[in-house]
Amino acid sequence: MRALAGRSLVRVGPLSVPVRRRPVVVAGVLFVLLAGAVVISLSLGTPYVAPGDVLRSLSGAGTPYDLVVRDLRLPRAVLAALAGAAFGVAGTLIQSVARNPLASPDVIGVTQGAGLAATVALTSGAAAVLVAPAALVGGLVAALLVFALGARHGLAAQRFVLAGVAVAFALRALTEVVMLAADPIDGLRAQLWLIGTLAGKGWAEAAWIAGTLAVLLPVLLWAGWALRSTALDDDTARGIGLRPVARRVGLAATGVLAAATVTAQVGAVDFVALVAPQVARRLVRAERPPLLCSALLGALLLVLADLAGRRLFAPTQLPAGVLTAAIGGPYLIFLLLRTRGRRS
Amino acid sequence: MTAMLSTRDLVAGYEARTVLDGLDLDLPADAFTVIVGPNACGKSTLLRTMARLLTPRRGAVLLDGTAIRDLPTREVARRLGVLPQSPLVPEGITVADLVGRGRQPYQRWWRQWSTEDGRAVEEALAMADVAGLADRPVDTLSGGQRQRVWIAMTLAQDTEALLLDEPTTFLDLAHQVEVLDLLHRLRAERGRTVVAVLHDLNQAARYADHLVAMRAGAVVAAGPPREILTADLVRDVFGLDCVVVPCPVTGAPLVVPARTQTSAVPAATPAPAGASVGDA
Repeated sequence: MRALAGRSLVRVGPLSVPVRRRPVVVAGVLFVLLAGAVVISLSLGTPYVAPGDVLRSLSGAGTPYDLVVRDLRLPRAVLAALAGAAFGVAGTLIQSVARNPLASPDVIGVTQGAGLAATVALTSGAAAVLVAPAALVGGLVAALLVFALGARHGLAAQRFVLAGVAVAFALRALTEVVMLAADPIDGLRAQLWLIGTLAGKGWAEAAWIAGTLAVLLPVLLWAGWALRSTALDDDTARGIGLRPVARRVGLAATGVLAAATVTAQVGAVDFVALVAPQVARRLVRAERPPLLCSALLGALLLVLADLAGRRLFAPTQLPAGVLTAAIGGPYLIFLLLRTRGRRS
Repeated sequence: MTAMLSTRDLVAGYEARTVLDGLDLDLPADAFTVIVGPNACGKSTLLRTMARLLTPRRGAVLLDGTAIRDLPTREVARRLGVLPQSPLVPEGITVADLVGRGRQPYQRWWRQWSTEDGRAVEEALAMADVAGLADRPVDTLSGGQRQRVWIAMTLAQDTEALLLDEPTTFLDLAHQVEVLDLLHRLRAERGRTVVAVLHDLNQAARYADHLVAMRAGAVVAAGPPREILTADLVRDVFGLDCVVVPCPVTGAPLVVPARTQTSAVPAATPAPAGASVGDA
């Protein structure tokens, strides 16, 4: 039917959802790639474990590699996938609300708020367990500040982004002041946190992120539908019976919550939230970033970045945050060049 | 006259500026109402307030006698369609997709599409004569096509009433007539109530069943154009001297500006050809 604009209708019980073929195919391919990347990530390292043995170990067959695969490498790979997915979700929501492909949690101040709080915790001798909660609170407080500053015109796109950039710069400056005044060793630890690393992290961190995503899941199901109206201007949206300001606040708050949670657990990993939605949008050729594909792409990107960080200069380990920009940046440039000149 | 939309003691404006100050107005059902007036007279503010895009500071807008702010916005969207002045085209969206957005008030996240949605969209595409463009991205269309696509979106909403803010601005004369003919058919063939803000007095006189003339936030006159559109009214509302003659085609009042400053200047500086009323 022409009115469905190239979609097929999926009906399951009371559900009736038009679906385009391309995003489904892209999501399928991304999922396979992600599974492959996780297996490779479990396989490479010292000792090397053949992919066949990785799969046998994962299936619970009991192999000599169980300790390496299941206890040492699996938690970190799962954490990378979950954190990447959460970054992808956060980026999609914030970019859509801001109507700006450059807006992401690390541009609008959430990451910097978390960074300042974590730096204070790390350099003031607070207990290590307090770093993540402090970062979570820091990220959320920064977001509240941005919302308050951007609220005057109903969280209008440009004002929201400008307020975010201003808050981000101010918080970064404060972080540097704290770092310069701190003991050099503590300062280094803070710096590593600010880059973002998965080293030494595993199930506990993954559980926090998974829990948050699970709690947000009903909201995300709604968001996948609500996001399509963010491209309309407010008058048009009100005309068709929507409440655009309430929607923006709801979507942005969901994105901020996901971003603050994941940043608190793995540190200020740059670029995943920025690049995953934009690459996903170009892959599915849609007018806005697709939620599920962005999450899968974020997961794939962070798994690959962590793997590259572990293996490229082994035995020296690079933090994943260094590699995300190195992998994601060139790919986005490639896509921009490829789609130049034709409308996607 | 049964009023479909009314305002009672309506006060509305932007920031510190009050545009409408205690406006009482009744717009008839099953009629094509055109609101005219000079720039900044409050006609767009009135339309936006009636369409609940702008919240009034005081007073109320009544839709079939019920205050519009007491109705859920989804329900209002099923009874009242609105086309804002220059809506933003989402990047890369196709015509069928954009027109489908008009079905929003009938959809939920778990029921995003129904057979009824399909029927309404097909019908709206056909009525606005954009069915042939269904798969084209809206941002590749001409201004006239785009405007018809937006109108199709409000038609897909399937509402009794339609409010349009300057739907002919930025269109050439042929496309203006096309859009106005479409609105006329909606009223005549489908019995819809149509309310539009227009700039061109002669088009207003030709198409309107009910004309509302505004100046400085107040209604100066309201009624059928043949009864109220006189040279005195135009002087009063626009400050322009003119002659009103019957239109040779329709017999509706035709406003012809009398001597203006430019035509009074001696022939050394020729007056611009076709200086007319309207066109802001």
